[in-house]
Order: sequence, then C-alpha cells, then structure tokens
Amino acid sequence: MTAPRPPGPAGGPAVRCRSLGVYFGAVRALHDVSLDLAAGRIHAVVGQNGAGKSTLAKVLGGLQAPKTGEVHIAGRRLPAGDVRAARDAGFAMVHQHFSLPPSFTVAEALELTAARGGSRSIYRRTDLHRRWQHELADVGGETALSTRIRDLPVETRQSLEIVRALASEARILMLDEPTALLTPAATDALFERLRRLRDRGVTVIIVLHKLREVAAIADTVSVLRDGELVLGPIEWSEVSQGRISDAIVGSAPAAERIAGVGAGETPRPGLSEGPTPPNTNKRTLLELVRVSSRESAFEPGLRSVDLNVEAGQIVGVAGVEGNGQRALVSTIAGLQPVTEGSVIIGGADATGVSAGRRRLQGLRLVPFDRNSEGISRSAPLWLNQSALRLIASRRQRSPLVSVRGLKRQAAEAMDHWRVRYDSVAQPADSLSGGNVQRLILSRELAPGLELLVAAQPTRGLDFAATGFVRRSLRELRQQGAGVLLVSSDLDELFELSDRLVVMYGGGVAARFEAPYDPSAVGDAMTGAVR
Amino acid sequence: MTDGLQRWASTAAMVGLSFLLTAAILQVSGYGVGDVFSGVIEGSITAPGAASSSIRWAIPLLLIGLGVAVGFRAGFFNVGGQGQFYVGACAALAVTLGWSDGPAPLVIPCGMLAAVVTGMAWSLLPGYLRVRFGTDEVLTTLMMSFIGALVLQYLTAGPMRNPSGTGQTAASERIPEAFRITDGSGVSTTVVVLVGGVAALVWLLLERTRFGMTMTLVGRNPTMARWQGIDVRRVGLINFALSGALAGLAGAVELYGPAGRLVTGFSPEVGFTAVVVALVGLLSVGGTIVAAVFFGGLQSAILFLPIVTDLPSPALVLLHGMVAFLVTVRFRAARRQRAASGAEARAS
Repeated sequence: MTAPRPPGPAGGPAVRCRSLGVYFGAVRALHDVSLDLAAGRIHAVVGQNGAGKSTLAKVLGGLQAPKTGEVHIAGRRLPAGDVRAARDAGFAMVHQHFSLPPSFTVAEALELTAARGGSRSIYRRTDLHRRWQHELADVGGETALSTRIRDLPVETRQSLEIVRALASEARILMLDEPTALLTPAATDALFERLRRLRDRGVTVIIVLHKLREVAAIADTVSVLRDGELVLGPIEWSEVSQGRISDAIVGSAPAAERIAGVGAGETPRPGLSEGPTPPNTNKRTLLELVRVSSRESAFEPGLRSVDLNVEAGQIVGVAGVEGNGQRALVSTIAGLQPVTEGSVIIGGADATGVSAGRRRLQGLRLVPFDRNSEGISRSAPLWLNQSALRLIASRRQRSPLVSVRGLKRQAAEAMDHWRVRYDSVAQPADSLSGGNVQRLILSRELAPGLELLVAAQPTRGLDFAATGFVRRSLRELRQQGAGVLLVSSDLDELFELSDRLVVMYGGGVAARFEAPYDPSAVGDAMTGAVR
Repeated sequence: MTDGLQRWASTAAMVGLSFLLTAAILQVSGYGVGDVFSGVIEGSITAPGAASSSIRWAIPLLLIGLGVAVGFRAGFFNVGGQGQFYVGACAALAVTLGWSDGPAPLVIPCGMLAAVVTGMAWSLLPGYLRVRFGTDEVLTTLMMSFIGALVLQYLTAGPMRNPSGTGQTAASERIPEAFRITDGSGVSTTVVVLVGGVAALVWLLLERTRFGMTMTLVGRNPTMARWQGIDVRRVGLINFALSGALAGLAGAVELYGPAGRLVTGFSPEVGFTAVVVALVGLLSVGGTIVAAVFFGGLQSAILFLPIVTDLPSPALVLLHGMVAFLVTVRFRAARRQRAASGAEARAS
C-alpha cells in the first residue's frame, strides 16, 4: 500500500458499527454486525445474495433504521434511519439501480439530485452547465451536459451517480454492487476512478460479488453470510482467496440437513400416462449450442452457452444471481430471442419456435417469481390452474370450453397436489407461498411433461414445502423427465443435481459432476483464483 | 361472491350519490327537484314514445359499451368508440349509396360488414402501437376519435354531401327507405334481435371460449400469460379489432336504423358515454345491458325535459357527468387498491 493515508477526521475509523441488527419477521437481515472501517481506504464487502450486504449499505446510508446497535461516522453517532444526517456527515451512496431521472439532461439531473445546499429554484442554463462542467472534469467525465440520461450508456450513468454523490463533498462513498452491469473495461475505469478518490482521502466502501474484482480494488475485505459478519475486515494482502470463498459459501456438509424431512407426504405427479422406465434411453431433451443473447437492463446476456439435459437427469445451474440465469431460463422458454446459436428441445430445433409451441412440445416452467410470473394473483384458482389447458389444445378442439369441466379438472389436480383452498373461485393471492408453488406444480407437472425448467423453485418456502418440491423433482427424474434446476441454494443443488454448471457473467464458467466440492463451486461462482 | 355483490352495491351507491348531488345543485339553483325527477321518469318511460326512445339510445351505448368491456377484459382501455362508430357509419353509408339499386337483404349485411371492418381498422392502429411500442392506448384511441369525427365532417360536407340539402349543418343524402331496418323511432324487432344476438355472442366469447379466458389471463397479468406461452401481442391485436368491430357495427345500426342519413357530429357523446356504461356495468355483459338501458333512458329524458318543464337539459347532463365522474373514481380506487395489495405481497 503506497497510497497516502490521511487520518480520519476524528482520528478514529471513518465508519464504526456496533452490533447492528435488522430483522424482517423471522428473517435475520443483519445480526450483531460490528466493524470498523479505516478512513482513506477501499473496503470491499462480499457475500451471497441475501447475506445482508445491501441491508448494511442501507443502514449506513440512513435508509433503514437498525433494530439494534448504532452507527458512527467520523466519530459522531448517527441518528437511526436519518438519510439527511448521514449525508451531512459526509456519507454518500451510489445505489444498485440508478436513480437519475431518464428524461433529464445530465446537467439538470445533477442539479436536481445534488445533495449540497444553495441550489436556486430559478437558474440559467449556462450557469448550470458551467458549474457541472467543472465537477465532471474533476472526476474525468467527458459527457455532454445536454445529453439526456436515457441516451447514456450504463457506465456513464454510473459515473454520473458518483459525480452526484461526490458533489456533496462526501468523505465516505458507498457503492452497492456497482459492477453488476458493467463490462470488464468499464469496471477497470471505475476502479481507476475509485483509486484516485481514495488517494484524495475519500473512504470507499464497495459491495462486490466477484473475487477477481475484490483482488483488483480492495484494501480490506469483509464477508457477510446469513446476516452475520463471518470474516474481516481483514487486509486483502493477508488472506487467501480460498479462505474468502469458503467464508462466503460456508462449508457445512449440506445433504444431511435436508434428508428425511416431512416424510409422511409423498408427491404424486400425474405422469402416469406412459412413464419412461428410468435410464433406459438417454434421450437428450434439451440442448443449447453456443447460445448468445442480448443483455437486459438488469443482467448480462448469454455468452456462447453450451448445455444439455438428458432424460432422467437433473442438471443444476449455480451462480451468483444476475449472472445470466434469467436470460437462460427465458431463452429456453422462448420469451427472449437468441442472437447466436441454437436451442434444441426434444431433438428438434426450437430456436425460432414460439413460447406456446414449446409448451405444446412438453416444456414446463416454474418461473423465478411465482407471484408475478407464475400466477395471476387476482384471477380465480381454476383459471390459474387451467392456463396451460387453454393453449395446449387450441387447434384440436372447438373454441368453446366447459367452465364446469375446467373447474372440475382444476379441483382434481389441486387436490392431487394438496393445495389448500376453500373454493376454486377464490383469487390466487389468497394462498400462502407454499400453496402457490403447489398450484404452479399442479399445473406444470401434468401429463405431457418432457422437460421441466425450475427456477428457484423453493425460494422463500418453509421447510415442509421445500422438502415437498425437492421430492417432486426427484420423482420426475425417476419417471424419465429432464429437469433443469436453477437455484441459488447450493445445498439444494448439491443434493439434487446429477450434474452442475456454474454461470458467471452470462457464460458457463465451470461444470461439475457429483460428488461436489463446495469450495471449488464457490470459487467458480465468485471467480476466485487459489 | 360477496366480493361481486359489494362491487355492485358500491356502484349503485355511486349512482345514487350522483342523483343526490344533482338534486342538491338543482335545489340550490331554484328548480323544483320533484318536477325534475318526475320529468325524468316521464321522459324516459311514461310519456308516449319515451320508452322506445330510451331503447333507441340504449342500442348504440350497448354495442359500443360491449366493445369497451371486451377491451378491459384483456387490460386495454379502448376509449375510441366514438371515432370507430363514426367511420363505421361512413363505411356503411358509402356501401349503401354506391349500391343503392341492390337488394336490401344483401346491401344491408354488406354495409354492416364494411362498418365492422372499418371500425376494426380504426381501432387496430392504436392497438398495433400499443402492443408494438407500448403507446398508451387511452391517448391514441381518444385522438383517433377526433380524427374519426373530422372524417365524418369531411365526408358529409364534401364527397357525400347532399347537394340539395338546405340545412345549416352538412348532411349526407338519405338512404332509400328500403334499406332502413327501423322507422324513425329507431326500434324494431330486427334491431332488438340483432343487438341481443351480438350481446349473446360477446357473452359467449368472454365467458365460454378458450380465447375469452386467454384474454382474461392477459388482462389480469400479462407477464404470467407470457410465461404460459400465450402470444400476448396477438391477443392484444384481436382484442382491439373486436372493440372496433362492435363500435363500427353500432355506426351501421345507427345509419340503417333511426338516422337514415349522416349529419356532421351526430350523437356526439355516445362513444364516451359508452365507456361509462361499461364501467357502471362492471365490465360484464349483463351489467352493460342494464347500464345501457339506464343511460339510454337518461339520454331520452335529456331530449324530452325542455319540452315539459322550463328546465334546461344541461341539468340532466350534469347528472350524467356526475355518474361518470363518481363511477370512474370508484373504478380507479378499486384498481389502485388492487395494485397496492399486489405490490405489498411482492415485497414481503
């Protein structure tokens, strides 16, 4: 470390937290987190999704009042949950999702959101431009001030967020996953900018997912897991990447913890029509050949992904969220076009085939967000349950349907899957999370299923419901279906998958066969080098 | 079920509240409230010809209102009924005048078909913009309505103008009597059977077909519909076409029925009132029929009232506007509530 280290304003650490706790119901977002972050350095905070990183950022920025504990900035105790106080203390935040108004010009947006006082309510455009030209040049930005925010590339928008944050003369800059949307080159540029800020004495706290990036930028690193600080803050030079990766993933033996839960209940997927004996014919049900797709606002696109799923197999997809899993599932579903490569479903090229046709060919989906993608909350249960039946037989039969028949079929399927409900006419949002998932399974795991793509099928479910879903997936494999399981729960992936791929930056970073080595998988997820 | 009852009750309460507010305003302005409301009853039901006049006005409201209800089913707020109604009427008129020596049983269906197709086209343009670019259909359908009114104005003042007409407002030639399906009263068995049949078909479509249910899913949650493999854009386009078809048909019925010719700016509010009709009818077919008859009666009373009292007809337009306002407020409030509870559940 050759960078000059000016002492903190009060001689102590720039940020000091004492036993912070934040709880949402039974969920521990943060629990007993105490840490000191020295002034004038770059501190990385790492951890899995839901480990509490964003919550910590919110507490520091005053957006979230902690239930227990306190935060001191530059030696002064902050009143809990007061954004203004945090800002006045010199704390500025760059959010995960950009907050500048898209229809404003650069100068207008900066003026609007600048945290400093003295903004006049009437201004002249030339004054405005002169003022911000200066600030922009200061951080090495080269953006025309009259450009509209929405016309700017992602990395420029982000550097404007930083300009905005620093315009308030922040001494502490917090960045929540700033690299999630950046290309490697833009990431390097961002890091260069952060280093220069540090050299000017600014304290930088940065939430990161990839150890390669931590290695590139951080002076110290802290690891959160399940809301607790499990490692650090520790000097980056004094710790191995392997140790960090183990701290992130946790090394508890996984499989034993789940086995045998809720054994009284057996799932009975209705696949009785012509079940394939297990493992007799290794048909390939899904094949992705060098598939690439365009990036979205929240995620990288796919980068030359090769993947296949055979009959009677569960293939797991691991990865830190936001590494292309969504793109993968929507590409297979036919909801997002590919730019290159081909998608082969059931042996036939399905690259240009519509989502509806893919469904007819036996593709079934458990989407990521069951409440917005999996069901219609306000529609009655029977209509939710019948959705696939509405398209599945569009061509063969008359356009008329018997509502009574649909309701009866829906009731039968839901009883079969033990959905707890009073009436088929009640709206779907009256069901609990576990019951909603059962409803979705009762619809998707119906006769005709060849291939199931299950995205986060157990997220947010309680123990019993989780066990039920996992047994259903195993049963499917037993019956000769193919399953692609996308999950951020490594225990689940290790327990269920015959094979495992790790997604990283939109591509497949590594492939594993059982038995799995958790630290090797963790390294692939975070990009760690041992 | 109780939820449905509650919605009907709150809608009825809004209509009742409108009556109260209007009565209060009239009282303050020095009119006898009793006279006004007895005038309404007379003008819509008891006076000679009043009941049939109510039905006459209910018919276009019902047809266009059904189109609005169909649009809402798939989540679209198609408020362009007025323009679709006008261009439909113009198309029917063009067919009829161009083939005035043809046999009525052929010309009338052809005219109606032309009206349906033209109404569809008028609605499909905003529909395409909506599904392709996400353009707000409230704005585009509304603007298309103004264009439709100008098309009518142009045709009746220009190419289709009756050269021997003496009136101040531009109007087309009358279509031959043989092509009329009602007399001047606007009510006949043919028309009632036709409109009833259309309403029955719309009910069948919405409540008993795969496509109707698919539309419901799209309207409730297009994201979920997409994940289910439903082609949301295609559903949207067909939906806009159906709304436009119904409003276009209303234009043809108007021409072959009570109007017999087209006058610049005829029935200037029917397309907008139809939106309120559909909302008051809670977007169901049965409810829309009831609401159409109610507003048809009101329209009839508006025309009748100046004859029997010294009350200006705007007094009833006030009532009409009050109902529209309060019912829309109720509708938006219910929507917002639903959206809010949805967001809450997603956050948890």
